[in-house]
Amino acid sequence: MNLLSILAVLIVGGLAAYLLSKANKLLGAITTILTTVLSFVMLFGIKDQIGSTETFLYFNFQLTEIGWYFAFVLSLTYGMSAFYNVCYKDKFMYPNSYAMLYILSLGGSLGLFFAKDFITFFVFWELVVWTSAFIIPLGKSRRASFIYYVVSSIGSMATLFAIMWIYKLTGTMMIKEALMSVDLNFWPSVILFMTFILSGLTKIGIFPFHVWLPLAHGSAPHTFSPILSGGLVKLGAYVAYLSVAVFPSYEIFGEGWMYRGIPLPIYFLMVLGAISIIIGTVMAIKQDDAKKLLAFSSVANGGYILIGILMMDEITFAGGLLHLFAHAVASATAFLTITAVAYRTGTTKISELGGMIHRMPITYTVYLISIISMAGIPPMAGFVSKWLILQGLASKGLIIIAFAAFFGSIGSFMYVFRPLAAVFLGQLAPKHENLKEAPIMMLIPMILMTIITLTVGVVPKLVLNFIVDVQAEAGIKVVSMTGGALDVFNGYLDATRVFVIFGFGFLIALVLFLLMPKTRSVSLMDTYTSAEFIYTPELLHYAHDFYAPFERLYKNHPSTLKLYERASLKLKEIGLFVDYAFMNQRPATSIMWILIIVTIVTIGGAF
Amino acid sequence: MTFQNFLNAFLFVLAAFAFQTSITGINRKVMARLQKRRGPRWYQQFLDIFKALSKSSISHGWVYDFGVIMALGGIMATVIFIPVADFRAFPNTDNIFIISYVLAVGMLGMAMSASGSGNPWASIGVGRALTNMLAYEVPFMVVVVTMIFGFKTASVGEIAGIQQGLGIFGWNLFRMPLGAIVGFISLQGMLGKKPFDSFIAPAEIASGPMVEYGGKHLGMLFILHDLSTFIEVSLIVNLFLGGGATFLEFGIKYFVVYTLANLVSGISPRFKIDQAVVFYYKFPLLASIVQGFIVIFTGWGVTKWL
Amino acid sequence: MAIGDKVELSSWEKLGNFFRGRSVWMMWYCTGCGAIEMPPTMTSRFDMERLGMGPMATPRQADILLVTGYLSVKTLRRVIYSYEQMQDPKYIIAFGACAVNGGIYFDSYSTINKLDDYLPVDMYIAGCMPRPEAIMNAFNDLQEKIRNNEVDGWKRYKKNYDQYKKNQLKAVGEVYVHDEFHE
Repeated sequence: MNLLSILAVLIVGGLAAYLLSKANKLLGAITTILTTVLSFVMLFGIKDQIGSTETFLYFNFQLTEIGWYFAFVLSLTYGMSAFYNVCYKDKFMYPNSYAMLYILSLGGSLGLFFAKDFITFFVFWELVVWTSAFIIPLGKSRRASFIYYVVSSIGSMATLFAIMWIYKLTGTMMIKEALMSVDLNFWPSVILFMTFILSGLTKIGIFPFHVWLPLAHGSAPHTFSPILSGGLVKLGAYVAYLSVAVFPSYEIFGEGWMYRGIPLPIYFLMVLGAISIIIGTVMAIKQDDAKKLLAFSSVANGGYILIGILMMDEITFAGGLLHLFAHAVASATAFLTITAVAYRTGTTKISELGGMIHRMPITYTVYLISIISMAGIPPMAGFVSKWLILQGLASKGLIIIAFAAFFGSIGSFMYVFRPLAAVFLGQLAPKHENLKEAPIMMLIPMILMTIITLTVGVVPKLVLNFIVDVQAEAGIKVVSMTGGALDVFNGYLDATRVFVIFGFGFLIALVLFLLMPKTRSVSLMDTYTSAEFIYTPELLHYAHDFYAPFERLYKNHPSTLKLYERASLKLKEIGLFVDYAFMNQRPATSIMWILIIVTIVTIGGAF
Repeated sequence: MTFQNFLNAFLFVLAAFAFQTSITGINRKVMARLQKRRGPRWYQQFLDIFKALSKSSISHGWVYDFGVIMALGGIMATVIFIPVADFRAFPNTDNIFIISYVLAVGMLGMAMSASGSGNPWASIGVGRALTNMLAYEVPFMVVVVTMIFGFKTASVGEIAGIQQGLGIFGWNLFRMPLGAIVGFISLQGMLGKKPFDSFIAPAEIASGPMVEYGGKHLGMLFILHDLSTFIEVSLIVNLFLGGGATFLEFGIKYFVVYTLANLVSGISPRFKIDQAVVFYYKFPLLASIVQGFIVIFTGWGVTKWL
Repeated sequence: MAIGDKVELSSWEKLGNFFRGRSVWMMWYCTGCGAIEMPPTMTSRFDMERLGMGPMATPRQADILLVTGYLSVKTLRRVIYSYEQMQDPKYIIAFGACAVNGGIYFDSYSTINKLDDYLPVDMYIAGCMPRPEAIMNAFNDLQEKIRNNEVDGWKRYKKNYDQYKKNQLKAVGEVYVHDEFHE
């Protein structure tokens, strides 16, 4: 078994899923589960082949530690979300295309992680972009897909430009050799670095390229939003890794100005990451659509991941990569729960829901644990990664970035709590009285993901071991652990011990609770209303304008999307002018322009 | 993690509860004197808590009960992490980020339980409390980052220990005066004292998150409130006042800090919630960042001090 | 069980009464003019907190329902609703002549005369108005009675629930309200 067999499984599986879906929708949906889960399992089979290279036709592949780690995260989210396709098979417009594109986009991602040369890299990159660009319009809106494609193209073209430039400079297409042997002065290398990383920034949704995320996440098919947030945006982190770790950025930029040991171009990107955290947080707080809310939280968490990877030290880098995993799992889980609610109720609007816990308790518990991880609260995986990032920022003394990190971290309590309170808790509307718990095929992945989040939060070593390998491969100091506990130079975290103590505290509280007199169950409507009689649960449910006082503070904020729209309007006007001046039907104007051009050319030729 | 550790931890939680509840009682008397009253007996707070525990109670579903248990459990766990003098219930758990994020478990549990009651006032109160948290926590954490950078450790106990070397002028209150001011202003928000108490406004939103609690739930929330007060004040004492070499020293500093916060509360009006955010994001945030730059670029207060 | 009968209590309940008798939280239902007597009772002049009493925001948290003044039929519904939301053990203090026997509204078409017919009153404070001293005295007596287990209004209400309900329905009637808040 080698990495080619995984790719073969995915490519062949994708085509097979298309044909099988034609025959039977259920078969196609099951194929998506089988192939994606199989690829996840097979990844562990090739873990010992790190470094091996394979060639297929013109494509060169090499298995690296970082590539394996990213493949591991992505195939996990793909494999888990695939279970939902079974329930949703009848709701898609084109179930056969969806099944095929779903598998192919994982194949594209994995091929991209395993790519040895730039051509392979770029071909698979485009495969991912195209497959996802075709999946997104299967949901609510075509415009979202259009914006996604445009933003992606900007990134892709910039990276293509950088690749061509690198080829011209080094004469080789092999990613590692080419990136490591780039020999340029400071400013050209900055431009090369920025253009190369641009596709990563667009993909991960860093300001000012974050506009596509909420649109695409919010209007993609419900089953594909977990993939977008937990999987596809993480491709950007891979590009960021290539441009900061494989490309010897710290050595080249080291000649220029440094800010607290960080070269300025990299610090600039970290500031962009910090801005993304703040924008993602404040925008997520005011969203009424649960999917858009989670999409903005992906923007914020993308900022953390980018900052972590850009730091290239032993603490923050490990934190960034662990956050990649923790956020992928937690965010995908949160999306899956919202999808389950949408499956039963048909809406993702927070203000239209309420009291779901009384009908979907398991979904609620899963959501609770995923948001605990997303907000970085122990004992979940998200805490360990955030802890590493914060410790790393503190060790370098990056106050401004740390401010953004804290703002995002505490702001995340606010935005993750909003769906918790307004969708799952509160009053149950009478129209939702007869709902049932999510179907079993939805509960399986949700529960598995929850177990993963909790396990990694209690025993972070399980994933940190992979990250230590990555750090060794990148040639930086590895994060130090003593017997399962993180033991970095300015802090110590034994996640297992924290979990046990938390369990101990919980036990004391439980005993106290049970010792005291028994409680009497009352209905939800039997609640203090200043002695007013209210019989309408919807009116007693607080879901609109949840953070109204806070939202008031920035209600007139500028919008990046509107800025782009205005810019495109101006561009269109210029186009209309050009059209009017040059492309009209009057022969006199055409002849005039031809004469002018000929004159200029003639004069130009004379010199 | 031996049995001794767990026993110590349990006794420590009990002691912390008894200590803080007595001090709350004494402070009720202090507040009364401020308002020219006599005030209740100093142990009135104990009577109130046990009375609440002894009453019957209602439940609005499993999350209503579970949230309270999770909240109290999380807060108790956080108390166990707090270093006092040279006492540690468990070794190596007094990392500042662990403390502040395990504290959040308790807050989340209570918020969840309150919203689970189905009362809109509870949700409004929780929304306000979370907004308040975004306001006071960020400047405070920036100061904490400065400290971690300066002292090369994130352990609260070690930061307290470092300050004890130079006598009273070794305290961060003097080493990082701007940071200490921010810390004390943030403490006011953490404790939910005036002027930052709009999330439990009794006459406006019927005591906010606590609106539906009665009986043992309310009693447990009172215990929770006293324990979280203990955590927050202990953090300030450890981070800015050099902790204490002995329990007595720690206790005295603790009493002074808490009483001071109470006195400020006693003579303050109340901020609206958006005003509180704006307030914290003006002077305290600026001061914390300036303090950070001073420490990071000049070393004043850490490497250059006396 | 007649009023004033003592029953043997378990030691848990005795302990409970020990605390309840020293800490009472009240919710006052400010229906009439009597509410004006409460601020001086709470603030520096009389300072009720020194005897372990304090105001609470909601009926869930409170031990005592203080009905300060006349009760119109319309507000009686609300008082009953609030009382039923309180946690056992709970006590009612009828404050002022109107709540005791109707006071100057004894012949009004829209007020009830005797609160005890509808809810079990544990303590009366007579007067129009009762002075803060009277309120303090009443609270003190109530605390003493709680400590001695002589207050059983909430038990009476449970025991004679049908009787109380009948009286309540007779006064209030079944009213169905139709507006944007009611179905």
